[in-house]
Amino acid sequence: MSFLTRASCLAKNAILSTFVRSISTTNQLRLKQIHEYKEGSTLIVEATSVPSPNTELLVRAEKIKDLTPAEKPEHTCYMCALDLDVKHTDVLILSQFVRSDGCMLPRRITGLCRRQQKKIGKMVSMAQKAGLMINLTPSYCKKDPKQRYAYKKFNTYFDEKTIFMRNIPKPVDRFKR
Amino acid sequence: MSAAKRVQQWATFARTWHIFDCKWQDPYQSAHVIKKYLMGMHKPIYHPMNDCGDVVLCINSREVALRGDDWRQRAYFHHTGYPGGATWTLAWEVHNKDPTMIIKKAVYRALKGNLQRRHTMQRLLIYPGEEVPEDIMQNVTNQIRQFRPVPTRLDHIPEDEVKQFPKVMEYPEDYVLK
Repeated sequence: MSFLTRASCLAKNAILSTFVRSISTTNQLRLKQIHEYKEGSTLIVEATSVPSPNTELLVRAEKIKDLTPAEKPEHTCYMCALDLDVKHTDVLILSQFVRSDGCMLPRRITGLCRRQQKKIGKMVSMAQKAGLMINLTPSYCKKDPKQRYAYKKFNTYFDEKTIFMRNIPKPVDRFKR
Repeated sequence: MSAAKRVQQWATFARTWHIFDCKWQDPYQSAHVIKKYLMGMHKPIYHPMNDCGDVVLCINSREVALRGDDWRQRAYFHHTGYPGGATWTLAWEVHNKDPTMIIKKAVYRALKGNLQRRHTMQRLLIYPGEEVPEDIMQNVTNQIRQFRPVPTRLDHIPEDEVKQFPKVMEYPEDYVLK
């Protein structure tokens, strides 16, 4: 039995490895969209290259004239160079790093540095927990934060300072009297 | 006393009604602000022996936001007085039962524990939603500023605005759109 599962794993990997191969028979690899349509009795599956929707609106630190350069230029990715103060409520920025089912994209696709990937990944999960990106969720989601179970249905906010903390301090409401 | 002075006297000692929208506000942070208005500490004539506190009307207390995993971490203690009568209720259970309780307890704890506390609490009116009786709403003359900005949900932003928003991330060339 275990041999069988292993074999199926191997087969899966084999499929995946062909999928992300770097050598190609075509001229150039481009952003692609898979189209399926029927012509008579034959089903045609086609991967057509699409211009990226982000290219025209792209913001990069090199293009901004008045921006002071970041402190450590050798370790920076584009987010470090931009030096934005992103909060978990900035859904318009965070939704760019997310698949249509709400999953964070991996680092080989986002192209972020290790620290930024961690930071943005945590902020994406914060925004998801707060129900701010409810349209970017798996298909089985009810698409309404108030329909959630028990404590999850109430509004929650997060503190971005806790992202890189080992131990998150307990909230203190001991009032000064 | 001249007429102008008399009006000034009324204006000084009249109770002002303030409204506070609890939507997406931390109750423990906003309790500090509400407390000052309830006790009249925002007035230059404030003195502990001076009855100059105002009325605060809290609306949308159902929409209160707690930080992190506070909804299931924070417990509210109650003791009936009998042996074995202690209960610990989690914040989300309290909020399920009575959506006004969290903000009420927060303000009660923020106030100093003296004989005035219960009378000061009488001036705090809390409503779980936006519906407030007309006779109470017509007294309101001031709004207390919110502590945190109310976040916008992505599906409430118009679609073309999301598309036209400046982008930071660029997909790699061989990325298959999903």
